[in-house]
Amino acid sequence: MVGLAGLSADSVRVAARSPGSDRSTPGGRRRRLREAALSAGMLAPAVLVYTVMTVVPVVVALYLSLTDWNGFSSAAFVGLDNYARLFDDPDTARAGVVTVIVACFGSVGMLGLGLVYALQLKERNWANSFFRTLAYYPHVISSLILGFLWSAILGTNGAINNSLADLGVGPVGFLFDENLAVITLVGVVVWAGFGFNVVLFVAGLQTVPRELVEAAQIDGASRRQINRRIVIPMIAPVVTVAMVLDLVGLIKVYDIVVSLTGGGPAGATETIAYVILTQSFAGTDVGFATAQAVGLMVACAALSVAVTALRNRQDRAAAS
Amino acid sequence: MKRRLLAAAATALALTATSACGGDGGGTDGGAGRTTLRMIVNITPNLTEQFWNGLFDRYEAKHPDVTVRLELTGTIEAEAKLRQDLAAGDPPDIAQHVVPTPETAELFVDLAGEPWAAGTPLYDDYAIGGKHYVVGVGEQIQSLVFYNKKAFADAGLDATRIRTIAQFEEAMGRLKKAGLVPLQTAGQWVTGAQFSMLADAGVLTADPDWTLKRKKGETSFAAGGYQRYYALYRSWLDQGFLDKSALGLQYPDGQAAFLKGDSAMYVMGSYFVPAADEAGKSDGIGVFPVPSDGAYPPGQFGNMAQPYTVVAQSKHREAAIDLVEWLVTDEEAIKVQLAADGNLRKGFARDVSSLGGGVQKILDEAPAVLVKQGERQPVQGYADELNKQIQSLFTGASAGDVATRLDQWWDSQG
Repeated sequence: MVGLAGLSADSVRVAARSPGSDRSTPGGRRRRLREAALSAGMLAPAVLVYTVMTVVPVVVALYLSLTDWNGFSSAAFVGLDNYARLFDDPDTARAGVVTVIVACFGSVGMLGLGLVYALQLKERNWANSFFRTLAYYPHVISSLILGFLWSAILGTNGAINNSLADLGVGPVGFLFDENLAVITLVGVVVWAGFGFNVVLFVAGLQTVPRELVEAAQIDGASRRQINRRIVIPMIAPVVTVAMVLDLVGLIKVYDIVVSLTGGGPAGATETIAYVILTQSFAGTDVGFATAQAVGLMVACAALSVAVTALRNRQDRAAAS
Repeated sequence: MKRRLLAAAATALALTATSACGGDGGGTDGGAGRTTLRMIVNITPNLTEQFWNGLFDRYEAKHPDVTVRLELTGTIEAEAKLRQDLAAGDPPDIAQHVVPTPETAELFVDLAGEPWAAGTPLYDDYAIGGKHYVVGVGEQIQSLVFYNKKAFADAGLDATRIRTIAQFEEAMGRLKKAGLVPLQTAGQWVTGAQFSMLADAGVLTADPDWTLKRKKGETSFAAGGYQRYYALYRSWLDQGFLDKSALGLQYPDGQAAFLKGDSAMYVMGSYFVPAADEAGKSDGIGVFPVPSDGAYPPGQFGNMAQPYTVVAQSKHREAAIDLVEWLVTDEEAIKVQLAADGNLRKGFARDVSSLGGGVQKILDEAPAVLVKQGERQPVQGYADELNKQIQSLFTGASAGDVATRLDQWWDSQG
């Protein structure tokens, strides 16, 4: 107040007029140019890195996906043949189905388990901290190691089947029955990834206003009703983020497949990323592999957009 | 330059799209005057990292100006590792266990001009268009049935009398009745490889040009001799001669199960011998050629042992060729490598176990070593696809399904 009171009416008018008047003076133009150059200079490294690391590879990959490049010789343009092959190739079709199963059931499992776990562990105390850490620790271990670990536990000669054999029960086909192997893969993926969701959800739960919950409690709402009607809707944006991250991550799942099942039995657990990296890209079919990679990228983008759009629509519906 | 840019961009996209793990970078030169040779090696239960380091320690002792750095393949095949390195613009100098095809031959140095190369095993069998891109240490034969002597004695079986498929099936029936798993298999690559060891001996002995004919479309998997073997394999599964749960075993686990006596027979290559020797089980194991309804003994499906290629993009080509020459011609290096993987080479007699002697006798009596390389190489990816299809027999596919799918796959490879 004192400062404002100290300003004369003229000086306020001058200050208000100054941006417009700056444009018309040579000094103002120089300053603006300097500011623009500074902004561009500060943005340039990020733009350069993004362009080199993301835009250029994507553009080149789009080009390569239209060729028959084998990875070392010169490439011939084949138009959309590689994309047409995506729909005809039996390995890609089967891997596509497996990928969808893993992504859908895996993300539902990771979200569901993460949410239940987070709701149980939202209060701050040492026991909850311990269990949160326990849930999160698989996330910090390499997926390859997790796959080998579970392979040692669930394989025909693994810990579980050996224990069952001691009881006179035949081996369970966790890794050699084609249907059970897919379920095993989903289970391991959920176990490996749900801890990250727990961390996200616990952080989201901390932001739910306590007054709202207390008001509901005073009104006689049960814990289940509070969670369903207040807590979960309040952390819906966090759930959306987690869902997008889970879906995109699982569409690209590769390392756990390599170390857990090796894509078997009989290719039953091969995902698109696995096929790209172990067959197409590793062979002489780089043009086709690139088309598969572009397809995967488009699928990831489409999923992200679709989930976010759905969430926004629900938010708008809730607000209106 | 353009090609390298394309390669780098494609690699970046594949890695971005799949979040795959990257390898380490690759410097080549050490201190002043030193040359570091980078070499892709395949790690197996016999050819361990320790084995490779020991082998190259010998070379480095004789060539103090050279350091050999191993490029381990990790979870992928040696060939895939080589492609990744090339695509990343970071070529190694030498690749072990990578066999050139007509499509990939340009990646490797033609060693035909090297005076020492022509004397190496199977040199001409692996030629492509008259050029010689690969040399090896020895030969492996693979159409072998290893058997547990005690299990055979308990079941009243005489291995020397098993020559035909019918006799083999009868033996499996008796072993099963005795409460044993007759035939050991495993998941990973083992399933398809064992099938090839068995079927190729029969089909390719009868028609050595079968693969060439398939390439020309003059025969097919559904119409040719392999169809009978798919049906046989399926019927063995139905009769319980193979344990379906074995698909959940990794290669070393399957081998260990046979060595432990959990199963009576194990179709495998000569490289099984060192594992049996190492386990101290050789004397309890016998070996005979795979059964055949045609000529007996059949030809042995075989291949070059320890194949080495020099990568054309190597920055140390001469030093790399010198190392490969040492690997395939130095007496001490050859003996160490032959012993490590149970391989064979004319003129290199060594002390072998009774089991190793049995394998040598089979090779001596075999009418031919059937090599599916050079012009007779199947289309790329065939071994993986065959493996997948043979595994599908375990999960319910019929012999007809397998033949049809293999024909469709082969034809789709252009």
